[in-house]
Amino acid sequence: MVSNILQTNLNGLVLNNPILTASGTYGYNDEYEEFIDVSNLGAIVTKAITLKPRAGNKHTRIIETKAGMINSIGLENVGIEKFLNEKLPVLKEKNINFIMNLAGSTLDEYIELAKICNKNSIKAVELNVSCPNVKSGCLEFGVDENSLYELVSSVRQEYKGFLAVKLTPNVTSIEKLAQACQRAEADAISAINTLKGTRIKLDIINGKINKTVVTGGYSGRGVKPVAIGAVIRIKQTTDLPIIGIGGIENLNDVLEFFAAGADAVQIGTANFTHPETAEKLVFELENFIKTNGFKDLEELKKELRK
Amino acid sequence: MITNTTKKVYKAQVYEIQKVSVSSYLMEIECDRKVDVKAGQFISIYCSGLTLRRPFSVFSNNEGRIGILFKERGEGTNYIKSLKKSDFIDIIGPLGNGFEIKNKKSLLIGAGIGAAPISFLKTKLDEKGIENLFTCGFLNKNEVPSCVNIDKIYTDDGSLGEAGSIINYLGLLINTYNPEIIYCCGPNIVLKSTAEMGIKYDIETQVAMEKVMACGIGVCRGCVIDIKTGAETVNKSVCKDGPVFKGNEVVW
Repeated sequence: MVSNILQTNLNGLVLNNPILTASGTYGYNDEYEEFIDVSNLGAIVTKAITLKPRAGNKHTRIIETKAGMINSIGLENVGIEKFLNEKLPVLKEKNINFIMNLAGSTLDEYIELAKICNKNSIKAVELNVSCPNVKSGCLEFGVDENSLYELVSSVRQEYKGFLAVKLTPNVTSIEKLAQACQRAEADAISAINTLKGTRIKLDIINGKINKTVVTGGYSGRGVKPVAIGAVIRIKQTTDLPIIGIGGIENLNDVLEFFAAGADAVQIGTANFTHPETAEKLVFELENFIKTNGFKDLEELKKELRK
Repeated sequence: MITNTTKKVYKAQVYEIQKVSVSSYLMEIECDRKVDVKAGQFISIYCSGLTLRRPFSVFSNNEGRIGILFKERGEGTNYIKSLKKSDFIDIIGPLGNGFEIKNKKSLLIGAGIGAAPISFLKTKLDEKGIENLFTCGFLNKNEVPSCVNIDKIYTDDGSLGEAGSIINYLGLLINTYNPEIIYCCGPNIVLKSTAEMGIKYDIETQVAMEKVMACGIGVCRGCVIDIKTGAETVNKSVCKDGPVFKGNEVVW
C-alpha cells in the first residue's frame, strides 16, 4: 500500500495517487491483475460504455506506427446493463477505484447514461465526446463549443457525481471547448483523446504489394507534445483540474504533464507495451518525491510549475 | 530487481538462437522460474523501440526454458535476431487459451511456421500417450525446420515428401488415418480448408488463428474475429478467447 503523500484531489474526487489508466486500454475492471495489483492505481478509466452493447468496427482495427499506434475499434463494449451487472461488482469486490467512461451518439443517449449512473451511485464519470472512430454523434459534440455546452450541462443536471469531459485535440481551439465544459459545471477535463490519423502499410513480398490501410485514433509516444500543448492551453483558460493523457511512458513524461498544469495523468498505449507501467509509475513517483525531500505531490507540482 | 512470482511477467535470458531453415529461427530463452505453458499458448516479446509487443506461439518448454520457432517478418523479428546468448529479454505470458487436448486419435496439421505450436502439441500428446499423426506442409524442403520431427511432410514443389499443397491431401489423410479430432495451425487458407473438412466428415477441428495484437490480454479488442455461438455471431479476441477456436465456429 502506498502512503498518502500522493493523494490527489480532483474537485472533490479524492484518489490515492494521480496515476490513472486511459479508457480503452485497461478493460473494465481487473483484467490486468495477472500483471499488477490494480488497486494500487489512482483509478482505472473503464472502456467506453454505451447504452446498448456495440460490436465495433469490422475492418482491421489496429496498426503500429513509428511512435505509437492507430486504433479503429469503434467503441466495442458490453453496454451499460452488462457493465453494471457483471463488471461493477468485481471493481467493488477488489477495491479498484474507477471512473466510468461514457459514450453516446445522441444527446438523449448521454442523458440516459447519466441518469443510470446517478441512480447506481457511480462516483465518477468521464464523458467521451471525441471518439474518432464512430461516424455519428460522439465526435460532433467534442468539436463544437455550443453542442458541447448543451451536452455537458444536460448531463450535469442528471448526474451528481464527479464529471470529467475528455476532449479531442482534433479542433482549432481546444480552449473554447474547455471553457464550455467549465461553464457547464464539469469537474475536470481529460486531455487529450487520440489524434485522427492514417497509416498505409506496404509490404512488398516477391514483387507483390500488400497494402494495409488503417484510419483511426493515433496514440502513443508520438502524441505527447500535442497533449502537453493542449494541457498548457486549457490550464491558461480554465480553473478546472486537468487529467493529462497522451504518450506517457515514464516518470519524466508524468512530470512534464504536471509542469504543464495537469493534476493527474492517464496511461494508455504504454499499457500494451509494458502492462506494469502504471503501477511502476505510482511507486516511482512516490520515491521521486521522497528522494527530493518534497513534502508531498502538491509541493512537487508547485515546484514544477514555477 | 524483485520478481513478483505470481504475475505473468518474467525476467528471461536468451539461451540460444539458431537458424533452423532457410527462413526460420529457433530461439530458446531461460525464464527466472518454471512456466507452465499449454500447446497453442503464446508469449509476447517486447522488441526494443517498438510500441507493440510481438506474439510468438511456444514451440517447446522445459522447466522454464521456452523455445519459440519464428519466421522473419520485419522489425520485431529483426530485433530478436539481434540478440545473443545471455541477453535479457522482456516477455509476458503464457497468454491465450491453447489447444484443448482430448484423449482421441489426433490428426495434427501444420503449414509453414504453423509447425511450431503443432510440434509442441505433439510433444504433449506423446507424453499423454495419445495416438497422433503430425503432418506438415511447406513450400519446399529448404523451409522445413531442422528442429521439428514431422511424421509426414508435403512440399508444394515436391522437393521433399509428397508433392503439392497439404490442403489437397486433407481428404485422403482423413480417409486413411480416420482421426477423431484434428488440430491445425498455418495460413488462413489451410485453417479454413481444415475446418471445412472437419464439417464435411463430422470431425472436431481446433484451429489456431493469427491476428495483429495490441494488448495481448483481451482488453483492447484490436484482434477480434467473428465466432458463431449458436444462432449468434459474436466478437472473440484471438489473444484471450483464442488463439485456438473450434473450426466450425469460425466465420471465415
